[in-house]
Amino acid sequence: MKIDKAKDTVTNTEIVRVENLTKFYKGRVEPAVDNLELIVNEGDFFGLLGPNGAGKTTTISMMCGLIPITKGKIEITGYDVQTNMSMIKWHIGVVAQDIALYDKLSAYENLNYFGTLYSIEKEILKKKITELLFRLGLEKFKDEKIKNFSGGMKRRVNLIAGLLHEPKLLFLDEPTVGVDVHSRSLIREYLTELNQNGTTIIYTSHMMEDAEILCSKVAIIDYGKVKCIDSPSNLMMQYECETLEKVFLKVTGHSPRD
Amino acid sequence: MRKLAVSVYKEAVLLLRDFEGILMLFLMPLILVVVITLLQDKSFQNITEKKVQIIIVDADNDSLGIAFRNGLKQSGMFEVTEIISTDSSAVVAAKKQVAEGKFQIGIFIPQNTTLQVKNRAVALIQRQIPNVVQTAGVNINSSATIDLFFDPVTKDSFKGITKSTFMQFAANTETKIIFESYSRFIDVLTNQSTPIEFPKTPVINFNEDLVSEYTGGILPNSVQHNVPAWTLFGMFLICIPVAGNIIKERYDGCLSRIQTIPVNYLVVMTGKFVVFVSICLVQALLIVLVGMYVMPLLGMPELVVGSNWFALFVISLGSAFAATSFGLLIGNLATTQIQASVFGSISAVLLAAIGGVWIPNMVMPDLMRRISEFSPMNWGIQGYYKVFLRGDGFLQIYPEFIKLTVFAIVCVLLGALFKKHLKEG
Repeated sequence: MKIDKAKDTVTNTEIVRVENLTKFYKGRVEPAVDNLELIVNEGDFFGLLGPNGAGKTTTISMMCGLIPITKGKIEITGYDVQTNMSMIKWHIGVVAQDIALYDKLSAYENLNYFGTLYSIEKEILKKKITELLFRLGLEKFKDEKIKNFSGGMKRRVNLIAGLLHEPKLLFLDEPTVGVDVHSRSLIREYLTELNQNGTTIIYTSHMMEDAEILCSKVAIIDYGKVKCIDSPSNLMMQYECETLEKVFLKVTGHSPRD
Repeated sequence: MRKLAVSVYKEAVLLLRDFEGILMLFLMPLILVVVITLLQDKSFQNITEKKVQIIIVDADNDSLGIAFRNGLKQSGMFEVTEIISTDSSAVVAAKKQVAEGKFQIGIFIPQNTTLQVKNRAVALIQRQIPNVVQTAGVNINSSATIDLFFDPVTKDSFKGITKSTFMQFAANTETKIIFESYSRFIDVLTNQSTPIEFPKTPVINFNEDLVSEYTGGILPNSVQHNVPAWTLFGMFLICIPVAGNIIKERYDGCLSRIQTIPVNYLVVMTGKFVVFVSICLVQALLIVLVGMYVMPLLGMPELVVGSNWFALFVISLGSAFAATSFGLLIGNLATTQIQASVFGSISAVLLAAIGGVWIPNMVMPDLMRRISEFSPMNWGIQGYYKVFLRGDGFLQIYPEFIKLTVFAIVCVLLGALFKKHLKEG
């Protein structure tokens, strides 16, 4: 399948448009996502922040076509998620919170498998894998099985698997959870570089410090609704807080959600 | 095509790197087939080859008693222990030994049994030619009773078989005695000195033949019956690793990743299907080879596959399709590995029981036999029997192959339906 490059160029700067997005899970009375409205522009490093159960992962899952939408609409690169998901898949990369890799395969074998499913030509794929493994400090371990990797190494391979086809829009769900300082720093650095090179990133995290540094725009959501949306600096100014974490606590309250 | 190739490669590598899993996949069905065939072979021998222990207390010790004892010995079915005694304690002792299970059957031939038969014969002759023969003390209604006592654990069907065998001996001996009595009187009447001998060979004989167009001369035995049946059972156990593979992929998040990739999920599933069907075929081949080369080393008959290897491949392929698809269905139905293991193993056992793996469907009750006709394992067994026992080819086994393939398609479709349901949930 060829990507409709012409269509890509006619879209305006909006890369994601979410309108009245609602999600009810079976057997639940309260919606997981409640009339959510969002716009993400091309080139944004967009932080989707919220406490546990706020609806972040549900929203991203609906954007990626993993779960059906109850009500509302999502458009990505101008295509409707509910009717044109097959086209959207060419433009998006997904790095889920889970280490979605086969632990008995090596890093190279995993990346080669996912890359081939993206229809990337053999030689190009090989070059891309080598390049990304090198960039994220894993070239020496390409033939090691994933099960022998540390948490940080697995996270890095997991990230590469979502980037092989050079997506325009990258979804990152907690990409730095459970990793050491070095891996976290390397991932942060690479994500910044990626964003500067034109990749739009939608990012969820509990790491407010990371979000404050990385994101050009953040939306804090709670109980499935957007509570506030702006750049971290504007939010800090608006809520008269020194850090994004303080803004977060001010908006969502101090009660634990788990 | 490259996507399919890489999917097949991925599944194959994942399996090959799970050494213990591979060992279990191939070794366990092999052990199962060997053990079950050995067990079934022994019980098969109990009925046909192993001699029945029998004790005879012969108080008659005349023509009938001797004929009875010799007849039982010559039949080849019985291991006969004889007590020739008129003492009633001999009967009590024999009964005790049967009750203790040392003998399966006891027979008591009372004193003068032969005489009773002879008297009856004389009475019959006397009635027919009263002017010539006049013997005092004979009665046309005279009768004798032979006591049979069985070990309480003996099955009714076995009792029936042995009773009819004894009745046959008794009737033969009785006929012989009557014939000899008649012969003697005729000799007296005709003044002949050489009595006519009772013919040793029967007038009516039975010819036994296995009805098959195949002339390979394969005799049904425990190996010919058990190897295909338990091969199928072993194949259907593949549903557990297949289901486990799908559930693991779902829990690892790999399935979600694949769902965000612009690839037809059918390609990914076909990759799994190709690998697991191949595993089933290798399993079947190994079990057949064990039947051919290892079973004889264990003192069992050799598995005779016949000459139609193509038909054997086709029926194995159909069975592999059905078993793998069943695993795909369970993988989509079950939400955890434990659920898949429990459901997979129990359903395989159930399908085996219904399909005639444990008990041949010809001896099942009517209702179960009808249900059995809807079991994929039954279709597989029937296909294998056609190839192994009848020497049939593709044209004869294709209905079974089609049924198995349709079952496979239904499982895949139901699996897809449940997967959609899970996603929407």
